[in-house]
Amino acid sequence: MTKVSSTKVKDVSAKYLFIVCACLSIFAVFGIIIYILAASIPAFREVGFFQFLFGTKWQFNTDTYGVLAMLCATLVVTILAVILGGIIGVFTAVFMVFWCPDKLHIRYRGKNKSMQNFVAWMNSWLSKINLRTIFDQIIKLLAGIPSVIYGYFGIIVLVQGGLVNMDPYHRGFGVLATCIVLSIMIIPTITSLTKNALEAVPAQYFEGALAMGNTKAQAVFRVVFPAARSGIISALILGIGRAVGETMAVQMVAGGSVNFPTGFFIPIRPLTVNINMEMGEVVPGSLHESALMATGFVLLVLVLIITLSVNLVPKEFKGKRGEKVLHGTSGEVVYRKKGLIPEILKYFGMVCAAIVAIALFAVILFICINGIPNLSWGFLFGGDNYEGHSLAPAFLTTFYIIVFTLIIALPLGIGAAIFLNEYAKPGSKFVKIIRTFIDTLAGVPSIVFGLFGYLLFAQIFGKNVFAGAFTMVLVILPTIIRSTEEALRAVPMELREASYGLGASKIRTIFKVVLPSAFPGIATATVLSVGRIISESAALIYTAGMMAVASSSVSSAIDPTNMGSTLTVFMYSFFAEGLAYEEAYATAFVLLIITFVLNLIVYFIQRQVKKKR
Amino acid sequence: MNIFKKKEKTAASDAASAGENTQQKNSLDIFDFSGENAIIVKDVDLYYGEFQALKKINMQMPKYKITAMIGPSGCGKSTLIKTLNRMNDLVEGCRVEGEITIGGINIYDKRVDLSALRKNVGMVFQKPNPFPMSVYDNIAYGPRTFGINKKGVLDEIVERSLKQAAMWDELKDRLNKSALGLSGGQQQRLCIARALAVGPQILLMDEPTSALDPISTGKIEELCEELKNDVTIVMVTHNMQQAARISDKTAFFLLGEMIEMGDTEQVFSAPTHPETERYITGRFG
Repeated sequence: MTKVSSTKVKDVSAKYLFIVCACLSIFAVFGIIIYILAASIPAFREVGFFQFLFGTKWQFNTDTYGVLAMLCATLVVTILAVILGGIIGVFTAVFMVFWCPDKLHIRYRGKNKSMQNFVAWMNSWLSKINLRTIFDQIIKLLAGIPSVIYGYFGIIVLVQGGLVNMDPYHRGFGVLATCIVLSIMIIPTITSLTKNALEAVPAQYFEGALAMGNTKAQAVFRVVFPAARSGIISALILGIGRAVGETMAVQMVAGGSVNFPTGFFIPIRPLTVNINMEMGEVVPGSLHESALMATGFVLLVLVLIITLSVNLVPKEFKGKRGEKVLHGTSGEVVYRKKGLIPEILKYFGMVCAAIVAIALFAVILFICINGIPNLSWGFLFGGDNYEGHSLAPAFLTTFYIIVFTLIIALPLGIGAAIFLNEYAKPGSKFVKIIRTFIDTLAGVPSIVFGLFGYLLFAQIFGKNVFAGAFTMVLVILPTIIRSTEEALRAVPMELREASYGLGASKIRTIFKVVLPSAFPGIATATVLSVGRIISESAALIYTAGMMAVASSSVSSAIDPTNMGSTLTVFMYSFFAEGLAYEEAYATAFVLLIITFVLNLIVYFIQRQVKKKR
Repeated sequence: MNIFKKKEKTAASDAASAGENTQQKNSLDIFDFSGENAIIVKDVDLYYGEFQALKKINMQMPKYKITAMIGPSGCGKSTLIKTLNRMNDLVEGCRVEGEITIGGINIYDKRVDLSALRKNVGMVFQKPNPFPMSVYDNIAYGPRTFGINKKGVLDEIVERSLKQAAMWDELKDRLNKSALGLSGGQQQRLCIARALAVGPQILLMDEPTSALDPISTGKIEELCEELKNDVTIVMVTHNMQQAARISDKTAFFLLGEMIEMGDTEQVFSAPTHPETERYITGRFG
């Protein structure tokens, strides 16, 4: 008797524990909003809310703060980037899903014997490669590359390599450079989400259209594409969110002066850049600091509006308004072969995919060519930076932050996912609310996380690795919850029933049956989180700190209560201090390799899971 | 204008150009259905990779009749119906040998335009698959892709097709509503109306009632009886009573072979082959 009741107590208390985990996202979102709002109130009070929002001048030495020009810069650059990146990304996805060949095959009709042999040899190699998978993996890889690298690519290749010559003032920075870099950065996000949306369209729609005499292109663009509309719109909105919140890459190519975006080569300062440029030299407690927080608040509100508008996209077609009355006329019915536009769109898709492939290839090649020659053992694992450069302290800090973040975030995220999938009634209001908050948290720009961490965790712990790790917990929580939930959902109901059938309690079923079968999914979530932590910079600079290159040493980094730069932040320091470009390239290469390995791990985990099913 | 991408003189393209002379505007209606049989299947073998799914099939499907194909699961009847409008082109590794002549043209000739073929040979699937659009747009979809954009003409086609599918009275007030909001049976009849909207000569039905309730099934069977005045129907069914009720010809398939084909009455009352008898009396399958 007592045994039964004790399991019951355990079950109930576990349930409440899981609920708390799930509610954490709600607390986090509210916490971020409240903390940043509270910190910006002095600025709103001193400057005046409308003066702050609609003022066009920003000079911190005279305490003049107005964000209108920066707000406009953010909006214009985002809109241009989403138009450019959105069109290219969406059509690339269409190409990948419907036309990308799995295998390449070279045809050779000539008579040259050695050439024939060569072609045969090439084909035997090509037949082993799955083109679609490779393209897919490269896009995932690019989604995971730290934004600092994109910024670097933007400066060296885009600005100095081309735009300088087109700019009448020979600067090259500004609106155009920013929107190109941003569109390259959001293409991976948009492409992979659009791809998911297209693949989720039931095959019957496609078959139905073909069976009526449609060409493939007609079926794709007239039926499948409209059917995936809501998913594509969500992809674009998420792309917008990412573009609005991007900091590091934008800072490197925007130019930085407060101007209205009136021309392609006008240097601008989007909201995120404003925060990041001045936070470093701000006097704690000053009006200036509060004004930067207020900038963050404006940014946050902007992003919240964008993220929440995803929920307004209708999930399915519900019919048009009004009644349809037919006015038939007995015209002659002549069926003709039509469909030029879909065919054109198909070729446009191919062109887009080619552009993306070239851009992606260029980024990777750029890093490899410049990075590899600068690698050396001493640079990687040397030790201190007093003389010469070494990544060793950064490796150490990165490792600490990954470990601490995961130790805290994994139990919380898994707990939340367990509540959402195992305890909550599917579709209930509560679940919907929690989901909305998780999505909102996922959409918060990393610089806003940085500000929040600065206001809360850096006050508690001081600027150190712990403050950084706690901030990163919030950053990766949505990823962990979502991937774990997906994994839990894939566990067949029968397994749970079998366990209950044997008299096991719910909590036992979850820990002994459900979680082990969901292990690959949780592992994937972990690896993805590691990737996110490694690529993060803006959220860490104000929390874990940004060490001056010359003063970072292993002896300092070994103690997590000290400040420390992760690899990405360190790379940014190399760049920002302007002394060690070779080292920055080499770090970029190291980051690329790490991202690549992480993606490879995810790929193999997922393949293993697919094989088992 | 020719359905073939390249002009070459063959028996088939002769038939095509004959059609061209009478109806110059219409490049899609090149099939000549004046013969007695709408479909002639001759020595057809079909392979999925190494596996042979159809073995030397020979059959004729008469015009304006309902031909039912029955047989246990995996016997190849669904595979065969998909070869008739070349939907199995979508299946990777699928290879067809032999000849299928529809309206005087071998549809497996490389030069046949699939759009023209499928406009003339419509298909209704096992699971209703209306597009996520309004009822009106679903039916207008086919005509629109074939270049009909005049509102008046589209309106007329929609009304005619819905009347043909005997659902005009049910749906005339909700043409603007989403087709996904209809019941399963309504969705399936809408799919039939949608297929009719492009004016096919042949309608292929792949177990059209297997996902439906008995009342909806009855309605679709009634509809088929009406439709055979205008189109030739080929139907795959798991339901032997259905075959017996509505079809004129019945073909029995087993393990990729056609065991026998004949008038439905004869097949059900006096099958010539013992396997057929065992199947229709319910001893296996």
